[in-house]
Amino acid sequence: MRTPSFSENRVQPSRIRFFLIGMTGVFAIFTLRLFFMQVIQGDYYYGLAESNRTKQTYVPASRGVVYDRRGVLLARNMPAYNITITPADLPDTEAEIEAVYRQLSQLTGVPIRVPGSVPSQECAPGRGIADLVDEWIELAPYYAVKIQCDADAEIAKVVLEKSADMPGVGVEVSPVRDYPNGRYTAHIVGYMGRVPAEYSDYFKEKGYNLDRDKIGYSGIEAYMEEELAGTYGSELWEVDAAGKEIRLLEPPVPAVPGKNIRLTIDARLQEAATIILEKQIEATRALKPEYLRSPMLGGVVVAMNPNTGEILAMVSVPTYDNQKFSRYIPIEYYTELATDISNPLLNHAIAGTYPPGSIFKLVTAVGALNEGVVTPDTPVICRGTISITQKFHPSDPGREMLFYCYDREGHGEISFLRGLALSCDIYFYNLGAGYSGPGGVKKGLEIEGIKQYARAVGYDRALGIELFGERSGLIPDKDWKRINQGENWATGDTYIATIGQGYVDVTPLQVAESIAVIASNGKVMKPTLIKEYLDGEGNVVEIHEPEMLYDITDDIHDELYDTVTVQPWVLKMVQQGMRLAVTEGTAADYAQIENIPTAGKTSTAEYCDDIAQSRNLCKREAWPTHAWYGAYGPYENPEIVVVAFVYDGGEGAVTAGPVVRDVLRAYFALKTIDLEQGG
Amino acid sequence: MLGAAALLVLLGIVEIRSAVADNASLADSAQRQATFAAIGLVILMAATVIDYHFWRGLSRLLFVGIILLLLYVELIGTESFGATRWIQVGGITIQPSEVAKISLIIILADDIARNEDRLQTWSGILRTLILAAIPAVVILREPDLSTAILTMVLWAAMAFAAGMPPRFIFIMGGAALLLPFIALALNLLQPYQLDRLALFFMPDADPSGAYNIEQSKIAIGSGGWIGQGYGLSTQVQLRFLKVRHTDFIFSVMSSEYGLIGMTAFFGLLGFLVSRCLRAARLARDTYGALIGYGVATLIFYQAAFNIGMNLNLLPVAGLPLPFISSGGSSLWSVLLGIGLVESTILYRKDIEF
Repeated sequence: MRTPSFSENRVQPSRIRFFLIGMTGVFAIFTLRLFFMQVIQGDYYYGLAESNRTKQTYVPASRGVVYDRRGVLLARNMPAYNITITPADLPDTEAEIEAVYRQLSQLTGVPIRVPGSVPSQECAPGRGIADLVDEWIELAPYYAVKIQCDADAEIAKVVLEKSADMPGVGVEVSPVRDYPNGRYTAHIVGYMGRVPAEYSDYFKEKGYNLDRDKIGYSGIEAYMEEELAGTYGSELWEVDAAGKEIRLLEPPVPAVPGKNIRLTIDARLQEAATIILEKQIEATRALKPEYLRSPMLGGVVVAMNPNTGEILAMVSVPTYDNQKFSRYIPIEYYTELATDISNPLLNHAIAGTYPPGSIFKLVTAVGALNEGVVTPDTPVICRGTISITQKFHPSDPGREMLFYCYDREGHGEISFLRGLALSCDIYFYNLGAGYSGPGGVKKGLEIEGIKQYARAVGYDRALGIELFGERSGLIPDKDWKRINQGENWATGDTYIATIGQGYVDVTPLQVAESIAVIASNGKVMKPTLIKEYLDGEGNVVEIHEPEMLYDITDDIHDELYDTVTVQPWVLKMVQQGMRLAVTEGTAADYAQIENIPTAGKTSTAEYCDDIAQSRNLCKREAWPTHAWYGAYGPYENPEIVVVAFVYDGGEGAVTAGPVVRDVLRAYFALKTIDLEQGG
Repeated sequence: MLGAAALLVLLGIVEIRSAVADNASLADSAQRQATFAAIGLVILMAATVIDYHFWRGLSRLLFVGIILLLLYVELIGTESFGATRWIQVGGITIQPSEVAKISLIIILADDIARNEDRLQTWSGILRTLILAAIPAVVILREPDLSTAILTMVLWAAMAFAAGMPPRFIFIMGGAALLLPFIALALNLLQPYQLDRLALFFMPDADPSGAYNIEQSKIAIGSGGWIGQGYGLSTQVQLRFLKVRHTDFIFSVMSSEYGLIGMTAFFGLLGFLVSRCLRAARLARDTYGALIGYGVATLIFYQAAFNIGMNLNLLPVAGLPLPFISSGGSSLWSVLLGIGLVESTILYRKDIEF
């Protein structure tokens, strides 16, 4: 019975067909799957394949450096050696890893472990090698953790040589910003830091590498970020699975280095002004009884060229050391600065606003002469005090109010030049607000006129200097008071505004600008810190031309008020008054310098800010005062304007006068040296 | 059939050449594969010429031989990737499990043809099952799960062809599906096998293991309609795709030839399998028919499993793509299979023997 099964194929064809059908089904599924993957998702996978094989690398651009006007480096790039360790590349066994730690610790002096230390910034001291490795092996094992930043070049060299025996250890060279002038130019040059989270999208779009690139946080570093940063070059590489670069897929785009910037600042004058101001502040402090020493004694010096608007020196005291921020921002130092009540991080020359006091009489003087409120010869009687009627609206019966001259004895009959030179308050009350009493000016300039002329010479606006944070200050008017104080403008408000008190609030830069306008016979130059742009070889690629905003002797149109056209003789008269202040007026004893005739205006501005109030200093009729003095020279052919401001400095002439005097001396001395060397 | 097989072998050599992609340690792979193919061709010819009934008499000897060989491998074989699967014979590494696959087809064909009638009862079925299960258990211990499963599949397919009622298949298939869970419960799977299964069901769990799958998907997907062209696939040439000359060679081809090319490849593979099945239909006896059916199963199952794995439809298992994947043993075993099938056709008419 068995034989037939040997000689017969009894495999049923249906079961063979079953196989065939099954196979066809399977291949159909495969084909469908392939169709789905290759056609429907094809572009997606092709994109993935492309991103697999291409790598965009960025070639960093070197950041532009910053010079002073004579070529002294204020901000430069230095190589910093960072010693790194890549957790993933460490050897396999614990013993070998410990050996690497030991050797590295010996070379660098960084401890292996610091018990109890907490994670902080990479470069901040206080963490051990193993601590950092343990911390980063979780976060990013292939990231080269910096265990020592800005290592000694010699140590870095040794570590690099021995890195072959220490798997995972490397040396990374990165440029760091270096500020050789440190605190002297900190407010102007500024400093840099990591891109803050809220701006990360903006800078990412601009091609910044957020992990590595820093941006300017303040000063020129911030304002000129775009010019200094340059642009990354890029290279599109084909890479293999190991990440090895095979070939360039596109012609590389070279990096464009940032522009080098030459500032208008003279580092020598800047340094001199800082020291002069600091010494004067110290001296002033020392004179005060302990309980009166304001915690916020500080000051400002601004020196500018009235013809070009170039800032030659701009000092804000107390200052800070931006060199300490060059690698990273140390939290302790930063906190110390940020919590200091005198706010050393702020450039008070542009971002501090104070009552100007008598130095604002220059505005009243220009306006009153130009509007014909008085002629230079119109006599006004000063008896040391005037009584006016304080009215909040025209039909207000008002009540009597006394205004005093600083000299309670009175200046007697006084006209323009002496009025200005002696800074007679009664004279300027008359000019600004009028006085119906005997020997008075019937109608003054009024607040509208004061505001108009204040704006014309640069107040009440940010002037556009190349620094962030410039404030506009405040010149009040009737609408402003109604809106912001909820009260009508009162007659007395005009009187105190006339002499730069009350609501008037200005920056030291604006004061310097107003004097520069007078000194330059009416030119309102845009204050600037930028002289020119240079390429890497030091060739000038672009000169930053001085920009004249307008000339007040031309028809100028103010967006808020009518056209102002100042007649040239008016400015001449004001100049003479300022000259007289130096020769025999308020500044005579404190601000004269040898051989160079100068003209100036003092100011002792009463203030009562939060600090003064908190210390109970605002005593009736004995408010604390800021000291101001602004001057220009040489009188006939002005080339420099210097303004000094000392917070809570007492008498303007006494405290600020000598500062300006010494800065002017320094300026002319340096000029002589330069001329000798040039010749 | 011979033509289709030759075409596939040639395609394999060509693809391996492309898949080498400048890798120094693989540089001579294509050449070696060509040598293997030449030897394979001789094996094929020999198997064709020898009447397939010749093997019938040797089947018991063959069975004992492969069991011994497999045990020998387990004892002294070369360990690679955590598994002992190779032995050295005069400079060539041979994978005994490959020899076992093809031998098992002959043994099972003989046994099942002999005992066809018993396949209707559990006792008869289990008797033949044991024949396949013994080598399967040994192979499993190598460990080589996928080849062990393949031997069971071969048995099931051939028993089915020989008339085993489908209900037995369902019952045993159901039982087989339960096996992984039992194995899991008893902790019998090797760690790497667990990893592979876990990877298939939860691809996000292990990024480094998911890499191969992800790259193969990208390689296939980037092929599009017509492919990137021979030797031009970036995924292959820049070595993003790993194990590309063996397990993932299907992805290499998909990336180079696209949907159209791969459809043609399916056609070629399907044609070859269908020729084996045609031989099964035309064979003069059940023994010959089962050889054809068995070889068809061997080729199709391995191909389907490998392709399914490439397409991320099945878990990653170390089954080669027949004819194409680099490796002598697997090439020889399928070529030997083709030779056997050719032999059934050649000796089909010679009934008076």
